[in-house]
Amino acid sequence: MTRVVEVPASFDDRSFDQLAGAIGAWPPDARLLIDARGVQWVSPYGLVGLLSAAQALKDQSCPLPLFTMPQNDEVNRYWARSGFYEHAEGLFELHGKVPRHAPGSSETLLAVSPIRAIDDVHRAVTDISTNAARIVVEQLGIKAQETMRFGMALSEACQNIVEHSGSIGWVAAQSYTWRRKLGRKVVVMAVSDSGIGFRRSLESLHARRIGDRWGDGAAIEAGLIQNVSRFRDPGRGQGLALIKRFVLQWDGKIAIRSGTARLSIVPKWDDDVPLAEHIPYFPGSQVQITIPAPEAP
Amino acid sequence: MIKTIRLEQLLRDTPTPLSRHLVTRPTGRAVRGGIERTVAETGCAMAVLDFTEVGLLDMSCADEVVAKLLLAGIACHVVLAGLREDQLEAVDHVLRHHGLAAVALVADSGPYVLGLADEDMRRAFGCVCAAGPMTSEALADQLGWRSERAAETLAGLVAQRLAKAEGDEYHPLPLP
Repeated sequence: MTRVVEVPASFDDRSFDQLAGAIGAWPPDARLLIDARGVQWVSPYGLVGLLSAAQALKDQSCPLPLFTMPQNDEVNRYWARSGFYEHAEGLFELHGKVPRHAPGSSETLLAVSPIRAIDDVHRAVTDISTNAARIVVEQLGIKAQETMRFGMALSEACQNIVEHSGSIGWVAAQSYTWRRKLGRKVVVMAVSDSGIGFRRSLESLHARRIGDRWGDGAAIEAGLIQNVSRFRDPGRGQGLALIKRFVLQWDGKIAIRSGTARLSIVPKWDDDVPLAEHIPYFPGSQVQITIPAPEAP
Repeated sequence: MIKTIRLEQLLRDTPTPLSRHLVTRPTGRAVRGGIERTVAETGCAMAVLDFTEVGLLDMSCADEVVAKLLLAGIACHVVLAGLREDQLEAVDHVLRHHGLAAVALVADSGPYVLGLADEDMRRAFGCVCAAGPMTSEALADQLGWRSERAAETLAGLVAQRLAKAEGDEYHPLPLP
């Protein structure tokens, strides 16, 4: 039996819940057909999230999911340029023609990249550092010396996959203009894995302290707000502290989804809720960091 | 003896060099191991950790390279050099997190205390660096402090390995 899971037409961190809801319980009770034919727009979060879904299915020995590509040629070319299909090849049974493309685009800070081990983190940091110097400075008007912080934040987010998730993950970053919401350029970095998630990672050391409130939301809060770690080493937990500081410094947003909760540090320009609980379950952890171009003086 | 250790070189000398960036804990552990070996082999009294030409430095690596080196009680004094602003921030953060401090040499500026040091310690550090060896009484005179305050502050500098005590005098670190 095959069950169709429709990818939302505008597929980002918020509409991701629709996808998670459509997948339903894990592991799914049927082979999945991920139907992206109607997709008109996708964020880096959507791309890495889909790969994580497929990876989670693989990790749980589920049948290889089917994937139908966006019908809109331009959209499909973007998916190809982003690097999605290179990594989707072994994780989905692809239906449709992968467009030929020149790698990358003028707005791609980091093509979809796997994070399996520390050498992948180094590679991602090197790529984003190179591209940030070009894109962030030119398009967002951020000073060259500040671009280092993009790499630092990305490095910490990616390391969490290697150190905590118990699985592999994916990262991508892109700049684009948010006309409706902000009227400015933004850089969006998305990191997603299909691993154990915040709750299971932190449970053994922190569940008892938090007591009845313990759950996915409380676990993300412990990691992001209290900067706790699953390791007893007192030097741990500083990575998310750095990301948080970076985000606040740039009036940006960080949203972390894990299991059935999403916790965000929400800037004034966004209308997200700080904590969304009881949202449809999705394996692992998904992080999105959004940094807007500074407002014109 | 003062030994300058170029971290970019240590990065290249790690068994599997990955990039010019000091990122990830395993990379930090490998570089810290290189520093510890160099200090042990040379028996230096002062190690200058030179960050020149290092790309990114993330918190995890700053924690592994600098904080854990100091926490482990390395046998020599440690001074940091060649740090860019973003790297200074990362090191300062991890040092504060652990209640540690270290001296940084910043271009176009004198030696500077990174990490956890209160205003008294920073002023005392500046005096010792500028004036050279001095007793707590001399510091108290210079800053208009009570002698107990000066003695306590100088003892704090020594405890954080920001100065050296020899007899009743407090010496600045022999900076390059």
